[in-house]
Amino acid sequence: MTGDTSFFAGFMDDYFAECDEHLGAIRRHLLAIESAGEGGVDRAMLDDLFRSFHSIKGISGMVELRDAELLAHHLESFLRRLRDGEAQLTADGLDALIEGVDLLERTIAARREHVPSPPAGDVIDRLTGAALETPPAESATIGPADQPAPSWRITFAPSPQLVARGINVDTVRARLRAAGTILDATPRMLPDGIAFEFAFAGELDPETVEAWRSEGLTVERVDAPVVASTERSITADAGARAVQPSHVVRVDLTRLDDLMRIIGDLVIARARLEDSLRRIVKHVPAVEWRAVQENSLTIERQLRDLREGIMRVRLVPVSEIFRRMPFVVRDLTREQGKKVRLQLDGQHTEIDKFLIERMLDPVLHLVRNAVSHGFELPEERVQAGKPAEGTLRLTAAGVGESVVLEIIDDGRGIDAGQVAARARAAGLPVPAGPLDEATLLDLICTPGFSTRDVTDRASGRGVGMSVVKNTVQELNGTLRLETARGEGTRFVIELPLTLSIADALIATVGDRTFALPQPSVREVVEIDPAALRRVEHQEIAPFRGGVLPIVRLARVFGIPAAPRPRLHVFVIGAGQDAVGLAVDRIVGQREIVVRTMADPLVRVGGIVGATDLGDGRVVLILDPPALARRARAAEQQPAGAS
Amino acid sequence: MHRTLIVDDSPTMRRMVMASLRDVCAGGFVEAASGLEAIEQLALGPAALMVLDLNMPDMHGLEVLRFVRSHDAYRDLPVMILTTRGDDQSRAAALAAGASMYLTKPFTPHTLAAQVRTLLERPRQGQGTR
Repeated sequence: MTGDTSFFAGFMDDYFAECDEHLGAIRRHLLAIESAGEGGVDRAMLDDLFRSFHSIKGISGMVELRDAELLAHHLESFLRRLRDGEAQLTADGLDALIEGVDLLERTIAARREHVPSPPAGDVIDRLTGAALETPPAESATIGPADQPAPSWRITFAPSPQLVARGINVDTVRARLRAAGTILDATPRMLPDGIAFEFAFAGELDPETVEAWRSEGLTVERVDAPVVASTERSITADAGARAVQPSHVVRVDLTRLDDLMRIIGDLVIARARLEDSLRRIVKHVPAVEWRAVQENSLTIERQLRDLREGIMRVRLVPVSEIFRRMPFVVRDLTREQGKKVRLQLDGQHTEIDKFLIERMLDPVLHLVRNAVSHGFELPEERVQAGKPAEGTLRLTAAGVGESVVLEIIDDGRGIDAGQVAARARAAGLPVPAGPLDEATLLDLICTPGFSTRDVTDRASGRGVGMSVVKNTVQELNGTLRLETARGEGTRFVIELPLTLSIADALIATVGDRTFALPQPSVREVVEIDPAALRRVEHQEIAPFRGGVLPIVRLARVFGIPAAPRPRLHVFVIGAGQDAVGLAVDRIVGQREIVVRTMADPLVRVGGIVGATDLGDGRVVLILDPPALARRARAAEQQPAGAS
Repeated sequence: MHRTLIVDDSPTMRRMVMASLRDVCAGGFVEAASGLEAIEQLALGPAALMVLDLNMPDMHGLEVLRFVRSHDAYRDLPVMILTTRGDDQSRAAALAAGASMYLTKPFTPHTLAAQVRTLLERPRQGQGTR
């Protein structure tokens, strides 16, 4: 038995990596559920959560982390009951779920740090208890969404030739998902072998059908279901698309901007009202106060609905960017003698029109970079044992309140040594030792950095990696890099769905008040200042068996602050990148109207904009990623830090 | 000897299975992360053995098994069900659907290797006629 234990001990890195992945997905789903309220839970989300817990349970058992296995088991059972409609997600249930996930994360982290698992407390009891609540009689809240009728039958017969071209059941499925809805996927045994039959609902233009057919797919239109009334099927047959009246109105974006601004003013006005109300609460009889309070809350809810309605109007599909890429890729590959297949996933993902316009150039740049620098020439690829044709994937997906764009190539990957050498030659400071991906990204995004001595046409435009990074940051987004030598590179851009109004946590430092965009805060903890240690110029606190660099906002912004018995710390970033922002007091959570600081003269590092909380004072909105970078930079170059 | 097909949606689990079977499965491995991928791999080349998880995203392992057993070309393929423990109802269902063997996770590399060895040495009905 001991021999077996040590056998799987070699897999701990895989284990932690996979757990991180699942926990990340779980957190995203929980955030989405939390922000959407109880009605925001759908079957697919529950399925995903269930599967993540199931996987963690399975692999935790293998590495003999029994506490995690047991906890994941209870979380999985809880999800199963929700999914099967045996229980409904109540506020208590959601709390228990979140606490359970938190404990699971800490249990796994404890194993990583070789410390004992944290005490389970009553989480498991609460999970089993919460799951016992039976749903009300008419529980129709969770169930599969209304499914459209299939309009196409698409058959794919896999073959080694197609697989060599990068066409397999997964890529076919992804393509169908991007273009519409897969209602059903069934393997079939045909006379020539196995084939997959997809029942698909969606609009396909003739070009797409042609393109798919040329790639070996059989695409057949399925007639409208017979159950439909005769009248309807006749119109459908008569080319309904041509005669259907248009219900679309084109609106100038500035008009929507005006509306959004008015709503922003309304949000502030309501906050002011709330503030005034709070001041008169003692002078009003309780009964009447309740009515006033209820009305105020109703207005808040309606405002939120109104804001979301306008926001939805502003959303456009990512395909506005994506559809330009095939031309760019075709031209560049032809010019450079490369073979690259472009795969677009999630084109229907929607994002704010303003963001899409700002993101076009950065995405173009990343695509050009991938083709010019990322992919090898076909013969090099073959020598390296890869298919001659490279695959460039652009994906978009909505995750809660944000949208994630990915630009993924299966080219040569970024050569960290070359980047370091180039950076040194350009006189940029390069940390000693192996470069991690975040540092690598920072280097290639430094203005004046270019891995090629000769700027070719592709990268010779006005946009460089530094512009890509700046644009993403201006839009309150994050840019991440993953790369592996010989395997490829992935750029991940995460953007908020929309700018202008956001949920924020409000905190004070000395006599100042700050707002922090809520999505960037991973958790809030209290730390005893006595536990802090100082390493060079950086304060660090023990945290989850590791250490957490602490940034005191009072110091960053030069605010006089009295010493406090406890530090309130916002944890931002995950894993190695986690940083704690210390404040004096956390006031609460608010919906804020973001006014970005466009004027470079008033722009300050670490601040993204300002807001008005309703009491007339201007409150600065912090830029957590920038503050985190500052902390990391201080950590890495203690001597030369500015 | 043909390849061994490892079907599990967890990459860690697939690696653990492959590490356990390294000395038993001489024909090498091929991995599939979902039911459809597993069936695709069957279409792409012959397999000596399939190690199959049950709980997977797109297609349940039992459906994969039923597909395999309902077609002549794969009827005799040894299929080892390897699923997370605590789901004992599935054992009967898997055996009824034609699983050659049923093992639960967590497993030890030694047991898995021993069971697979037994499975591969078991005479296969109809083998050699094709």
